[in-house]
Amino acid sequence: MSREANLSVAEREFVLEALRQGQRLDGRQADQYRPLSISFGEEYGHVKLQLGKTSLVVRISAEVTKPRDERPFDGLFNINVELSAMGSPAWENGRSNDAEAYVANVVDRVVRHSNALDTESLCIVQGVSCWSIRADVHVLDFDGNLTDAVCIAVMTGLQHFRRPDAVVRDGQVIVYGIDERVPVALNITHKPLSVTFNAFNEGKNLILDASLKEELASEGELVIGINNGGEVCFLSKFAGAPVDAHDIVEKSNVALEKVKEINARIDKVLLADLSRRGKKGMMEESRAENDREIDSRTTTVV
Amino acid sequence: MSTPLVLLPGDEVPSDHLPPANNNPLKLGPGLKLLSEPTPASEKPRHVLTATQAGILSTDAKRNTVSLLSFPNRRYIPTVNDLVIAQIHHSSADYFHCMVTPHTAHALLGQLSFEGANKKTRPMLKQGELVYARVLSVGLGAGAEVEITCVNPATGKADGGLGPLVGGMVFDITTGMAARLIRASSSSPDDDDAVDGLVVLSELGRKLESIGGFEIAVGRNGKVWVDCSNAGDSAVKATIALGRCLQGTDEHNLNPADQKKLVSKVLREFKLA
Repeated sequence: MSREANLSVAEREFVLEALRQGQRLDGRQADQYRPLSISFGEEYGHVKLQLGKTSLVVRISAEVTKPRDERPFDGLFNINVELSAMGSPAWENGRSNDAEAYVANVVDRVVRHSNALDTESLCIVQGVSCWSIRADVHVLDFDGNLTDAVCIAVMTGLQHFRRPDAVVRDGQVIVYGIDERVPVALNITHKPLSVTFNAFNEGKNLILDASLKEELASEGELVIGINNGGEVCFLSKFAGAPVDAHDIVEKSNVALEKVKEINARIDKVLLADLSRRGKKGMMEESRAENDREIDSRTTTVV
Repeated sequence: MSTPLVLLPGDEVPSDHLPPANNNPLKLGPGLKLLSEPTPASEKPRHVLTATQAGILSTDAKRNTVSLLSFPNRRYIPTVNDLVIAQIHHSSADYFHCMVTPHTAHALLGQLSFEGANKKTRPMLKQGELVYARVLSVGLGAGAEVEITCVNPATGKADGGLGPLVGGMVFDITTGMAARLIRASSSSPDDDDAVDGLVVLSELGRKLESIGGFEIAVGRNGKVWVDCSNAGDSAVKATIALGRCLQGTDEHNLNPADQKKLVSKVLREFKLA
């Protein structure tokens, strides 16, 4: 069983009828996202994201490897989406399913193929060593629109992540620990996000950020990957009901607006988190101008 | 009402909390089990009533039942006599195979387990249709088949609105909320129940009466079926409003005052009251 259970006839009919009357089950507008909350873990690149009831964790990690032979100047970047049984009873551990392949494909194209992460900046020594950046996506709860949620979380993670500093000295690569040197932010060239619309009633209704019930009743999906500058880097309308070309143009504008909104949100939470982290690391801690902290052990002895 | 008694899994139900003994057999609700205690062979075997889930003990002396009001769980474990909303998955010669919970083994519903059904006239349910049914048996051990029925086997009548559910909409709630809703509907409306404090339904009923009221069926498997087809043009709005009130009460665990506030807020949003 790798698919979500089908909706009952009554539910499907109701969702469609409600949309015909311009109503959604949770009272949202057609072009409205569910409440989005982004938080960070202790380490760099650990993002927890909640979009309505869809909830996931993304971990970005880096290691030094050998670049590919055909691309000696490029670092490696991989996005790993694995849907475990924790997210939905429909998913089985260790067995890939359609949803997983679909989400992985879309996110890969929106984030990786659009060169959101500048992989050339990951090169350390040409043809010998480079950084390999890996994004692991863990879905904790699934209530529709996984694609957008994963895209937002991965992009936030990439912007939040700091890789250890590495230098080449006498042909030797030295990697400094996070405490030893201020870690380096990744080079993000642009910030694309996917925006998913679901089509209903022969493409007459297009709604944003469908919940699971809406997704199950939907007749087709339109995914637009777009960045802040309005450059469309991914567009898919794989199967299902036809969507009017006019709608696609119109929804691209909606998508642009939404992406700007979400990117502004991401910038805000990133800024808040970085200022919270404040001065950390050995360099900062060992500065003379820092306040002197009295060791609690000595005070107890005195 | 006295202070509620909270039981943890494995706790024994104190005998003074049970309804006074009479000739009728005591009915056990979900979360309770009768276990026999090991005793020396010479003595008579002793039975104890034990909780298998954490919850608040509730007894009903009139109906001679004792049950456990569990926490808002999401997982449903079928128990005999539970009312459930099941979805037909496919049909075979003798049975409809139904989904009580998605991705678990199908429950069986006899083709003739409907009011007035016989070999010649029986409901022809298709895939995806819904029935309101009662759990008849759950079998023993893991993988045992669950059988449900849309008719009271003793009387041959579909009491309590059992049978196919046509139209309307299903909303998912926690099983704990479903249990509370069922209890709230079975107790008298002026009974101020300290444990439940669930006024959302009676409040909705009062406010939606003017537009034609609504029909509701609560399944212990965490589903509520709502139908407002009497409401005419505002049927869809009223149904969505109902669903949002129920889910909001469930998710935020609202107290009676907040439930009333939520109801009037949602109804105002839809211009229904």
